[in-house]
Amino acid sequence: MSSNTQNTEAALTVPVDDVLRYELLESNGPKNAPTGDPVMSVRDLNVSFNTEAGTVHAVRGVNFDLWGGRTLGIVGESGSGKSVTALSLIGLLDDNAHVKGSIKLRGTELIGLTDEEMSQYRGANISMIFQDPLSALTPMFSIGDQLAEALKIHDPEMSKADVRARCIELLELVGIPEAEDRLDSYPHEFSGGMRQRVVIAIAIANNPDIIIADEPTTALDVTIQAQILDLLKVAQKETGAAVVLITHDLGVVAGIADDIMVMYAGRAVERASVDTLFARPGQPYTMGLFAAVPKPHMPSNTRLVPIKGNPPSLAAIPPGCPFSPRCPIAGPECFKTEPHLEALDPAEGHLVSCLKMQQIRDQHLTYKEVYPDLEPLTPKWAEVPRDERPVVLELKDVTKVFEVQSKGLIRRTKGIVTAMDKVSFQIHEGETLALVGESGSGKSTTLMEIMDLAVPKEGTITVLGKDTRDLKSARERRELRRDLQVIFQDPMSSLDPRMPIYDVLAEPLRAQHWDKNKINRRIGELMGLVGINPDYVDRFPSQFSGGQRQRIAIARSLATNPKLLLLDEPIASLDVSIQAGIINLLEDLQTQLKISYLFVAHDLAVIRHISDTVAVMHLGKIVEYGETEEVFNNPQDPYTKALLSAIPIPDPPVERTRLRLVYKDGELVPANEVHV
Amino acid sequence: MARFLTYVAKRVINYAVMIFVATSLTFFLASAFMSPRSNYESRTPRPPQESIEQSLTANNLNDKTPIMERYTTWLKGIVTEFDWGNSPTGTSVNSEISQRIGASVKLMLLSTVLSIVIGVGLGVYTAQRQYQWQDRLWGGVAALFLTVPTVVLAILIVFFAIEINSASGMRIFYVTGLSSYTGDNVLLAFLDFLQHILLPTIVLTIISAVGYHVNQRTYLLDEMHADYVRTARAKGLTKKQAIRKHALRASLIPTSVNVAFSIAGIFTGAVMTEKIFAIHGLGEYFINCINNNDIYGSVAVAAFSGVCTLVGALLADLFAAALDPRIKMS
Amino acid sequence: MTDKSQNPDLQDPGKLTQETVDHAQRLHEAETGADANWDTMARDDASRDESIEPATVIDGTPVGEGPAGRRPTNAELELESQRLEHTEVKRISYAGLIARRFFRQKSAVAGLTILAVLALLAIFGPMISPYDYTDPDFAALSVAPSAEHWFGTDSGGLDLFACVVHGLGRSLVIGISYALITTVLAAIIGTAIAYARGIWEKIGMWCLDMLLVIPSFLLVAMIVRATSGGTGWLMLIFGLSAFGWIGYARTLRTMALSLRERDYVKAAKYMGVSPFTIIVRHLIPNLGSILIIDTVLGVISGINSETAYSFLGLGIKVPDTSLGYILSQGSSAMLTAPWVVLIPSIVLIVLCVSMQLIGDGLRDAFDPYSRAAGNVEEEAEDATPGPEKLAEHDI
Repeated sequence: MSSNTQNTEAALTVPVDDVLRYELLESNGPKNAPTGDPVMSVRDLNVSFNTEAGTVHAVRGVNFDLWGGRTLGIVGESGSGKSVTALSLIGLLDDNAHVKGSIKLRGTELIGLTDEEMSQYRGANISMIFQDPLSALTPMFSIGDQLAEALKIHDPEMSKADVRARCIELLELVGIPEAEDRLDSYPHEFSGGMRQRVVIAIAIANNPDIIIADEPTTALDVTIQAQILDLLKVAQKETGAAVVLITHDLGVVAGIADDIMVMYAGRAVERASVDTLFARPGQPYTMGLFAAVPKPHMPSNTRLVPIKGNPPSLAAIPPGCPFSPRCPIAGPECFKTEPHLEALDPAEGHLVSCLKMQQIRDQHLTYKEVYPDLEPLTPKWAEVPRDERPVVLELKDVTKVFEVQSKGLIRRTKGIVTAMDKVSFQIHEGETLALVGESGSGKSTTLMEIMDLAVPKEGTITVLGKDTRDLKSARERRELRRDLQVIFQDPMSSLDPRMPIYDVLAEPLRAQHWDKNKINRRIGELMGLVGINPDYVDRFPSQFSGGQRQRIAIARSLATNPKLLLLDEPIASLDVSIQAGIINLLEDLQTQLKISYLFVAHDLAVIRHISDTVAVMHLGKIVEYGETEEVFNNPQDPYTKALLSAIPIPDPPVERTRLRLVYKDGELVPANEVHV
Repeated sequence: MARFLTYVAKRVINYAVMIFVATSLTFFLASAFMSPRSNYESRTPRPPQESIEQSLTANNLNDKTPIMERYTTWLKGIVTEFDWGNSPTGTSVNSEISQRIGASVKLMLLSTVLSIVIGVGLGVYTAQRQYQWQDRLWGGVAALFLTVPTVVLAILIVFFAIEINSASGMRIFYVTGLSSYTGDNVLLAFLDFLQHILLPTIVLTIISAVGYHVNQRTYLLDEMHADYVRTARAKGLTKKQAIRKHALRASLIPTSVNVAFSIAGIFTGAVMTEKIFAIHGLGEYFINCINNNDIYGSVAVAAFSGVCTLVGALLADLFAAALDPRIKMS
Repeated sequence: MTDKSQNPDLQDPGKLTQETVDHAQRLHEAETGADANWDTMARDDASRDESIEPATVIDGTPVGEGPAGRRPTNAELELESQRLEHTEVKRISYAGLIARRFFRQKSAVAGLTILAVLALLAIFGPMISPYDYTDPDFAALSVAPSAEHWFGTDSGGLDLFACVVHGLGRSLVIGISYALITTVLAAIIGTAIAYARGIWEKIGMWCLDMLLVIPSFLLVAMIVRATSGGTGWLMLIFGLSAFGWIGYARTLRTMALSLRERDYVKAAKYMGVSPFTIIVRHLIPNLGSILIIDTVLGVISGINSETAYSFLGLGIKVPDTSLGYILSQGSSAMLTAPWVVLIPSIVLIVLCVSMQLIGDGLRDAFDPYSRAAGNVEEEAEDATPGPEKLAEHDI
């Protein structure tokens, strides 16, 4: 059994440059093999933090090179060390980080530089785009000032007029209309996507050699995400920089990256050109990611394959391969020695870190063999045709109008916003309706109206045959509530951290005045139903992982045997490898208990996988409503078409070549004809 | 602009109602708990009953008059003549207060300015050195001063001043009043004033500088960890530059809101300090009113400080609006 | 003229309210946001000796066959994998963990020890004192501390030791009662207003603001002044508590505002749980650590206020005595009998500092990011990120 220190030593003995040379010579990605010298070379990068849980080894022996004009995608889940890697390249880690190894920028060693020395390179040679555009800009300064600051800090001599001209040029480049007038605007006057454009303008202001983009689109809507990814390509073309794109979403890297590095537990577990990696993932974890992700561009006929268990704590990485406890093909040796990157196929520059590499290579294992569990989806309700099943929820022409008040000191009514405009749909027993829309589409309002059993000003909401208008007493409402339950997005916040699981699950039952024995029995049942060991009833929510917490939240919502579940982005806050387990659970429960789901989400791939019917919302209206496959294969509404064309597809050749459509004032325009 | 004025007018009306209710409440409480009658009854020799009744009625303080009648008389006086009533001895509350505001302002002005400058400065200084010895030292000092009761702090300062005086054989520090010089020399008069004001100013400055220090440190630390500071560093600013140019500006917004409140506080004086240093300001008047069963004096002080607090609140809103572009005035 | 501690020299309400809100909020966020932390700590030890399970997973064999060839449901697979995962969690109760983190701090333990000594002095002091605090020794007026009179006597011949231990007891009783009563009132009223929403919330807030407009010092003084004699201290507790909760309730309301938006509160509401149950079962427990810390620090405010009122002659009066009253008596004879001022001053400072140390210790014990967490290498003692903070980098 080797300890962590021994692992690090082992990593040191690997002939790093030999291994990396495969990529240099043989890479067959979209841009072929890189030429010339790399702009940045990272060797044996180790980053650790001291925390009360012990020393957290966030990055352990990572090696890579960056070439101008090429994009490296770093893919991993939370805790994989991808963001820490990115921050160490630009020297923005917290002061308590211990960085070891070597990061060379055109031959200059960056590790060990002081903040003052490093600031010479930041912005000028290396720049960064952050995840959350809403908080990335200083609210007190106009965007013109913030852009100008980026220029002047590296060139104090620059004249005012030059700075201004360059700022306008940059804003136009990133696609901000009326750039000159917007210079004096403050960040809060821009939308999230626009702010991210400003951040990109700042990042490319000094023509850097390296642009690091840390989940640049995670906080954005899917159509905006597509635009920002296109803009990143423009920025790269403009500056000739090497781009490092960090993401958890395989679809995002498919269209933009040249090379991919997959990280797990602080290590690179697989490296290859984007085409090779997507075509032939060679490491069980990478394969698992592919098996766990629903495909937006194909109808789903198999269940998803969850990767069991959870990623290890970086403060206590088990000996051996860190993925071994979750790996379906792990053998005894996998629990003893930690593998390092080796060439799977020297001809392709494909590097994999796995002790079972020989077996994978010889038997040509793909994820279908490694995760053999790809059961076909059981057709639901084949025996009773849809029309003959009762309707559990029906909205008819529901309209909801908000008065919008301006933010700030003087609240005045700015106008009215129609959050729901004649919204109509129905859900039959045992089926799933997905409500899709981007932020501001009105999908959350719709959900709230149903949860509140609201009486709409116009239209009707009918829950299980009862019109909300006819609910007279609080008792009638409470009784209806029993059959209508909610699951929220964030299981961290939906379970009271001060309550043991027993009380969490007992709460809805107590509210319905069940007696104690009945409650005890029911809790046992529920825990079994969602797959949580019933012995854990005394534990507190924080003792469970995110996926387990969501299971508990599902158990709570099932406590009173509801007929209809409202799911508000139930898997959006979970890691990819955990999502599949929850989706499968929801599917199983639907088959077992014949519940109906109203599934509100923005992730179209998940929706295609799980739903029977889809309602697409845009600006308060349902613009498209129909059977899921019908909507995905043959969308009618231009907005739906634009939305579908914006989903990143985890298939590089498809993603690189397909036509993206942009919805503009009710019309569709191909993206390459729109000024980005 | 018109919209802005409407907004201010709305706020002012709301505050006026608040002060009216609060002041009326104080009136009824004071009338219930204070007995001006006992002032006369406890005199030796006890004045004749008739003259007691007469004096009380003359000052609208007779508890035999129904409370609502006294209330309306009092209110009418304020509305029609801005007359806030009389003390049990018959002196006018209006003149008492106007005489004393000056002393309070003299006392408070200097210490308020000093405490803002010192407190905010220390806050910025220590925040940038979080967990270093400077931060720990000043943090410890602040915690000590926050903990020690004001009375104890003032008394100890007086004690040491007296010790120094007697050790040096000179009257370096005066521990009572605001002036004792009676000559015509302006310079000497000013020096005399400084000798008097020094100790109370030290006490008051310490007390409120601690608050500014702790708050400013917290505000700046919060902003220092904001994402936009990281963006500024990614542009090429050093950590210090990023903090100075970006975080500091944001952290001064809540501080300026606090400053707005203390501007209003200048007029209401300081109870303990005025009492200990025998300064005849509003704070001392306050104690005297309570000790002398002066119902109208107490109510007037309550109303006055209520007005000051709310003026402070209004100022705070305006300060925030002026400094934060996210809050729009129009 | 109002303020958090009714300490009349702190002039503005906005400032201190803001401070407490900010602090409390931060603390709360740290706590709930990072709630996993204390369990991570507890679990962490366990996961280190987590044993390997190589036998159950051999090359390519799927885990967990459902009964009789039926495809296992997701729940069954999950249960199976939990059995394999073998995560024996070393359980430690929340209270136990906080206690451990509290006692890890030397300053907090020192504070607690000092407080215990003072409390013992207040309880047993009067028994061991040869004099009573009401019996003047006319043969010894203003004598310095000696074997006869341990702390000396005041100008009236009262034994200072007897007076101080009695006053200490008064201070403790008043401080603790004040802190408990105001915390309970503020917690109930603050959370209720926050949960009420709509018109009731507006009315509640208006009333709180209105009450804050009048200097509470004045109101308390009016109530307290009217009483005298042996039961004056009860009245002082009543007066202080009656107006001491207002600013605090406002702070707690702000905190509860963010709690009421939590999904678990919404979930409870949609399950049909009554508002009262939600306040008692969800809102107040989740403010718990703040309530505990503020109760401890509230004791300081109570002691401070008692001292101030008694010093001004409005609080505790003869025949009773308190530390503030002794100070006011001593301040007139500072040159001739300095011990009358210095001894109660020192006792007050020691008492308040010990409470402050306990309060700080509790705050650090509850705060998952604090340095009280321990186990931290010396060089990295500063600004340690918890696992959550690290995770933030990496979403």
